[in-house]
Amino acid sequence: MLIRKLFRTAWSYKAQFISMVIMITLGMGMFLGFNMEWKSIEVDTGKFFEDTNYADYRLYSEKGFTTDDLDKISDIDGVDAATRYLSVNLDIKGEKNKSLALDVSENYTVSTFIVTDGEEYDKNGDGFWLSDKFAAANDYELGDTLTLEFQGTEITGKIVGLIKAGEHMICVADKNQMMPDYSTYGYAYISPKKLRETVKTKLRDNIIAELEKSGVPKEMLDESVNTLMTDETINEALDKVYAQVNLLSDLSKETLEDSVKNALGRTIMVTSKDDHVAYKESNGEAEEGKTMGSVLPVLFLLIAILTMVTTMHRIATKEKTQIGTLKALGFKNRRILRHYTSYGLFIGLVGTALGVALGYAVCKAIMSEGGMMGTYFDMPDWGAAIPEFCYPVMAATIILLTLISYLSVRSQLKGTAADALRPYTPKKMRKTLLERFRFWDKLHFGTKWNIRDLSRHKSRSAMTLFGIIGCMVLMVGGLGMRDTLTGFLDLLDNDISNYTTKVNLIDDADLEKSKELYKELGGDWESLTGISLDGDTIALDIVHNPNDLFNVIDEDNNRIELSDEGVYLCLRLKDRAEVGDEIEFSPYGSKDTYTAKVIGYNRSIMTESVTMTDAFADKLGIDYSISSIYTDKKTNEIASNDLISGKQDKAQLMDSFNSFVQIMDSMVIILVIAAVILGIVVLYNLGVMSYVERSRELATLKVLGFRNRAIGKLLISQNIWLTFIGVIIGLPAGVGVLYWLLTALAGEYEMKLMLGPLTYCVSILLTFGVSLLVGLMVARKNKKIDMVEALKCAE
Amino acid sequence: MSIVQFEKVTRVYTSGEHELKALDQVSFTLDEGKFVVILGPSGAGKSTLLNLLGGLDSPTDGTITVNGRDISTLSDNELADYRAATVGFVFQFYNLIPTLTVYENVELVSTISPDAIDAKQMIAEVGLTDHLHNFPSELSGGEQQRVSIARALAKNPKILLCDEPTGALDSDTGVMVLKLLLSMAKNYGKTIVIVTHNQSIAKMADVVIRVKNGKIRSIAEQENPMSADEVEW
Repeated sequence: MLIRKLFRTAWSYKAQFISMVIMITLGMGMFLGFNMEWKSIEVDTGKFFEDTNYADYRLYSEKGFTTDDLDKISDIDGVDAATRYLSVNLDIKGEKNKSLALDVSENYTVSTFIVTDGEEYDKNGDGFWLSDKFAAANDYELGDTLTLEFQGTEITGKIVGLIKAGEHMICVADKNQMMPDYSTYGYAYISPKKLRETVKTKLRDNIIAELEKSGVPKEMLDESVNTLMTDETINEALDKVYAQVNLLSDLSKETLEDSVKNALGRTIMVTSKDDHVAYKESNGEAEEGKTMGSVLPVLFLLIAILTMVTTMHRIATKEKTQIGTLKALGFKNRRILRHYTSYGLFIGLVGTALGVALGYAVCKAIMSEGGMMGTYFDMPDWGAAIPEFCYPVMAATIILLTLISYLSVRSQLKGTAADALRPYTPKKMRKTLLERFRFWDKLHFGTKWNIRDLSRHKSRSAMTLFGIIGCMVLMVGGLGMRDTLTGFLDLLDNDISNYTTKVNLIDDADLEKSKELYKELGGDWESLTGISLDGDTIALDIVHNPNDLFNVIDEDNNRIELSDEGVYLCLRLKDRAEVGDEIEFSPYGSKDTYTAKVIGYNRSIMTESVTMTDAFADKLGIDYSISSIYTDKKTNEIASNDLISGKQDKAQLMDSFNSFVQIMDSMVIILVIAAVILGIVVLYNLGVMSYVERSRELATLKVLGFRNRAIGKLLISQNIWLTFIGVIIGLPAGVGVLYWLLTALAGEYEMKLMLGPLTYCVSILLTFGVSLLVGLMVARKNKKIDMVEALKCAE
Repeated sequence: MSIVQFEKVTRVYTSGEHELKALDQVSFTLDEGKFVVILGPSGAGKSTLLNLLGGLDSPTDGTITVNGRDISTLSDNELADYRAATVGFVFQFYNLIPTLTVYENVELVSTISPDAIDAKQMIAEVGLTDHLHNFPSELSGGEQQRVSIARALAKNPKILLCDEPTGALDSDTGVMVLKLLLSMAKNYGKTIVIVTHNQSIAKMADVVIRVKNGKIRSIAEQENPMSADEVEW
């Protein structure tokens, strides 16, 4: 019988019940959704990395690694597997603006791939194993022939398999490319045998060219070539090509560095997977998700629970006479408690169940092949995983909700049945603080009425305020993120990059030849290498930028005219050294240590870096090679050259950011929609509550001769005031949360908090709009007030 | 001169398929400045009558003319204006706004009444000057009802409508409130209509209308109504 009552009571308080369920659903859904997102990233990418033997460490050597080197490295205690590795960017012959990273894992124990279609890996195979996403984006099919150009040598073969590789889970060509663009860039693997063949061909070509140059007669060429092309020379050439060793190991970076140095007798640049794009970025995404998951969704959940406290308390007080009746009928307190407590349990269970569904949907919207991350990560499995701590949170929420209704009802059960039967008497009215001031008497009665009503129902007012602040924080946070990202891209597009084309040079390009090329192309150049600073891998950015095509900017995004007297630290390294301090660093692959004075800080938007001019680098005597030339020339005006490894159109590069902006947009839309729903539900719920509580007063006003409009205005003005206060608090709170988020995310990118006027306008207008809409919805009820009914009962 | 005229007024309430005739073809007239008591048992239709007269409700059929104006066909807003200007209410449970002080409760009506009387003057007349800045919850029932009377009269209405004004009070306080109500109505020359089931109050009236089952049983004019002190309570 009481169960029937439960459902009927729920129906009679449907606005409250539905809004509580929605709030819990929304709170739980957002909480689970965002937390499932990062957990799924961790689990899914983790599994993919394990399945493809993703390298823990990558060793780089300009001279390359010999098989002997590899053996020595493999013999190090704690190294589980190691392979010589090659990864190089190559253009596809006959295709404009399409290139591939060509990878070879010599013994295929580390950095392998999963075949999604076609032949399994064969170390003697002659074909290409091509990225399935690249194939799909460019209409390549199994059996098609592909020709790559590598410094004048062609590599041709059939596509024998379509694959996904952990190494290229985030397939970007350049450190400045945020998002993969499979229509222009992908990856492929070939077997070590095919690489050997290619190296052999190239070696033969080189030898022939050399012999011809030195005047060896044509008829002697073949013989001379055969004499010179020994296994030894081929292996030597191959050793140079394998500039990388990938390995699996649990050793710490320092230990490995030392062990490698001892084993090989030279310093080798060791980078851990933390510095490799796929691991670093997916980890970054997970961390980002954790940060997001720990703030905004928790805010939702908190608001949901607080709304529940207020609403349950009101329902319990409204049910007071019913509770008294049950008590008078002879129901034991325990049974009544159990009955009313089940309301909270019911709401908790339904809300949580729906919340899990919503959470799953939110997680899937972000973390699925067709979702936002689908354009970023390329991996086979897209399962959804719930972080373990979410289960106790779910249980605790349900228990808490049950407890809230238990406590609300218990307070009504105190005393005798007669006490409980007496209707609920609201708190006695006391003068508010404002009444001490003179201006009080001058206020309109409606203003006084509303102010006193707010102070009389503090928890309701506080909850409304909290809802509005929450709504505002979410909107400012969401829209502000977008502004910041747009600002960031603007910065990259307009303040940092003024070039037309970025010409990437091959690794260790000869400095003199590079400078000649630079003279021909004009513009600016930069050299990026790895250095070790206090044991951390950081980029050393040597810049020559007299022509403003590539700018180094300060904290306020203005171009720094770089001085030749010292180094600039990026803002993220600010706490490492003060201006005037000296830092000590050593380039990878070199035993030399350099000391330089810090003369300023710059905003490096992507990598953590130490920046200096080429003149200062020369002064210190640092060896470097130019990595990129930034020029005004268009890509088609730049002739191919042995030094050039790739050309990137700036417009094209900026286009690749679009999908990143789209991801952000979807997140922002989710947040803004959630904020609007949150605002509507919280305000409507509390508005209806306020309306019901004041219905007798409203009826009295109506009887006295107040028009519906005037009464409606009273109701709406209270909402508008609270919204006004909420906006005033919510705006800086939103900016604060955003600032905190950006600081938490600063490990990955360095973004300057930016909020456009539109964000302020949209957030404020939407919040006021929601408040006004709900106010009107509640005020409409006003017409239906039954004056006669409302006046009959005593307060 | 008649101020109120009910002509064949019928009020039917429908709830689903059920119809309840709360008033059935009721006709009567009331003269200005009279003290009228509408008497009848619960469910007789007396409150419906008062609500129709007060513009809280509209008749299903018939016409109600107050002060020469037909109020049976007025819109919501016109009815609100009618209530603001023509009638004052005193309720059984006072219906004061709990969040406004005594002064503010009375002052409140000056914002809507075209011809309002000064709030402080009215409060002084009901003897509550000392409680000007108290909230209703700080007053006794009798005091609250006096505020309610002050508020009703502050609008300077033509007619004062009272629904069981002593119903929630003990008899001594009730007599005191009645005395105040009558003397003030007299001083300001108001027509006063009280709905009650208390026979004793009827003895003080100029006109007693008895209602039963939605119809008027009798309308009796009393030439020598008793004073409150003469009535046995």
